[in-house]
Amino acid sequence: MTRSSFRWIGATLTVLLLLLAGCAESDDAADPGATGPAGEATVAGTGVPGGDGTATAGAATEAGEATDTEGATDTSGEEGPIRMGAVLDITGPGANLGGPERDTLQLLAEQINAAGGVDGREVELDIRDNQSREDEAATQLTSLLQEEVDIILGASRTGPSLAMRPLAEQAAIPMISLAANQAIVDGSEWVFKTAQNDRVVVEKIVAYMQTQDWQTLGLVRDASAFGEGVADLFRDVSGDADIVAVEERFATDATEFTAQMLSLRSAGADVNVIWGIPPAAATATQAYRDLGLDIPLMHSHGIGNQVFLEVAGPAAEGVVFPIGRLLVADELGDDDPQKEVITTFVADYADAYGAPPSTFAGHAYDAFQLAVQAFGEVGTDPAAVRDYLETAELTGISGVFRMTPEDHSGLTSDALVIVEVADGDWTLAADQPDGS
Amino acid sequence: MTGPWPPTSRTVRDRGVIDFLQLTVAGLSAGSAYGLVAVGFVTIHSVTGIINLAQGEFAMVAAFVAIALLAAGLPLPIAALLAVLVVALGAAAVERVAIAPAAGSSVVAYIMLTLGVSITLKASALLIEGPQPSALPAFTPGILSFGGVLVRPQDLWILAATAVAALGLYGFLERTVTGKAFRACAEQPTAARLVGISPSRMSTLSFVLAGVVGAVAGVASSPVIQTDWNIGLFLGLKGFVAASLGGLASIPAAIAGGLLLGVVESLGAFYISSGLRDAIAFFVLIVVLVARPSGVFSTHAGVRAGVRAH
Repeated sequence: MTRSSFRWIGATLTVLLLLLAGCAESDDAADPGATGPAGEATVAGTGVPGGDGTATAGAATEAGEATDTEGATDTSGEEGPIRMGAVLDITGPGANLGGPERDTLQLLAEQINAAGGVDGREVELDIRDNQSREDEAATQLTSLLQEEVDIILGASRTGPSLAMRPLAEQAAIPMISLAANQAIVDGSEWVFKTAQNDRVVVEKIVAYMQTQDWQTLGLVRDASAFGEGVADLFRDVSGDADIVAVEERFATDATEFTAQMLSLRSAGADVNVIWGIPPAAATATQAYRDLGLDIPLMHSHGIGNQVFLEVAGPAAEGVVFPIGRLLVADELGDDDPQKEVITTFVADYADAYGAPPSTFAGHAYDAFQLAVQAFGEVGTDPAAVRDYLETAELTGISGVFRMTPEDHSGLTSDALVIVEVADGDWTLAADQPDGS
Repeated sequence: MTGPWPPTSRTVRDRGVIDFLQLTVAGLSAGSAYGLVAVGFVTIHSVTGIINLAQGEFAMVAAFVAIALLAAGLPLPIAALLAVLVVALGAAAVERVAIAPAAGSSVVAYIMLTLGVSITLKASALLIEGPQPSALPAFTPGILSFGGVLVRPQDLWILAATAVAALGLYGFLERTVTGKAFRACAEQPTAARLVGISPSRMSTLSFVLAGVVGAVAGVASSPVIQTDWNIGLFLGLKGFVAASLGGLASIPAAIAGGLLLGVVESLGAFYISSGLRDAIAFFVLIVVLVARPSGVFSTHAGVRAGVRAH
């Protein structure tokens, strides 16, 4: 019996490990995307195609100075509906991201078609679910490419986005990812993205530390791709090799954080940073408070959705983190360039779905508006759209985008503000580093 | 090494002791949940030979049921008890609907069936509850300090619930005729049949018992671990490791395996590396499987004694 028990244990363990491996993979993918929460931006165009974006594209033969009508004329032969494909993490671990993104795209497509479409052409959306998996993302993208869509939006998270990138590059079709990791667009020709880069977030945190005169930080980070390399980013951005006093890690599905918190407690840094996404980031915050740490606590942009507040509860009070302006839309000054776009989007979204949009919804909004702006200016020729996007400017939900051929993300740390949790809600922190 | 901790009156040595105790408390709390899930693996495996891959989902479903009942206005204790009852009945239904009709299949087929049950429960939870986590409130709010070691009251609740569930199971198996029949079926299936014990009934009973202990784990730990649709995989994996540490045969060894795993993880995460926390569990498991396949707690290797209640 022993031998056979042993064999069964072995067999079952193998199955479980395979399951775990599968999950770990998708988790990794998920987290990076999750980072994306930061964004809120205002897109200027509020539904009017090509409204704001002045295409200064020198190189672009296509659109240079063309008005909308001229653009349409120039690209004669382009008729019929504009076909936009989207591959989103609608089910699986990324569902927190992909669900609101899908809702946003549908809302925007309805709005634009009700207003007569883009240059009279109807916008057709084809939204696919990648089940938060890399392989499924690639499969769905291939299927969309066979249907000859004019642009690809997605995926929601870094992992699936990275799986899609080479396919879009090979097919020479523009793609706008909604995920955060800079690797998605580094050196890309056809791929753009709308969520703020991690580096920009680190820059903002370091700037805030300077306003508070904090020299060192204790870092507890997600062990997946989302948190990988963050400590080096802090050293690099600050130019201080000793800025990270201690670095601890936790699994994305971790539930117990005593060891990490005790390590922070004995390190005694000026500020501690938890870099993760809810629920882990929220339960870690509870452990931080339960273990009596009274050092200031910062987070990343990974916590910018309601789940964090609900799970962390009172433990979230006083948490400070950088995020896009969407979360604090009602506190923006009238002179804030994004105010109008954000408030319009928040109202439209709440009207349609009965709840305020998340930052992820904002990433989808920005991607959709960038695409529509490009189509309005230069039609649907893939190369023309790509060239246009490389110089596109957009006042969006996640920030004011200024794309360049070198920077397919287009956002700086100005896209972020420092937000504090007070009385169970987001509020603009009193101290804002310069430039925001 | 300066900072708000420790208070200036304490020495570094004191702090080391306090850290160690703090980590041990955390490990025991987490380990209790692992242990209860492990007991579920053992009760089903000992009678049927099946590794029930839906064991962690029993805990997940119980927590969600309790949360829903609480939201419906029931007091917390009633909601918790009803949730355990619902999952116990649900586990019986799973056995009747998914396992029993496949009588005579190979063990692998049974394991695949439980995998199907697991996926079904997970997908249902995702559809009904959505991707976001939710949790029961702590049974008792606040924080307790024992000489500098900070303990959440919920940790004590989890330990108590584990003790009650384990002792209850022990009493049932030792003191009742049905319990004795259950043990007989685990230890000597053929002889048990000869004296008129129905293996089919005992199979159902094993799922009910596994449902009860899994549900207790899920409900008691919900306030500290946050229940989401996928938490069953986490609990199931850790519970399976704990059960294997105990040789998959003994209830006390499964509990001990869970506690041991929890403490080793907690200490390892602090003294070795927080990034290796989960790896430590599997490393320990591999070492045990190679060195002592019948479990670290078995007195003589090579004997599988069914459900040994002592």
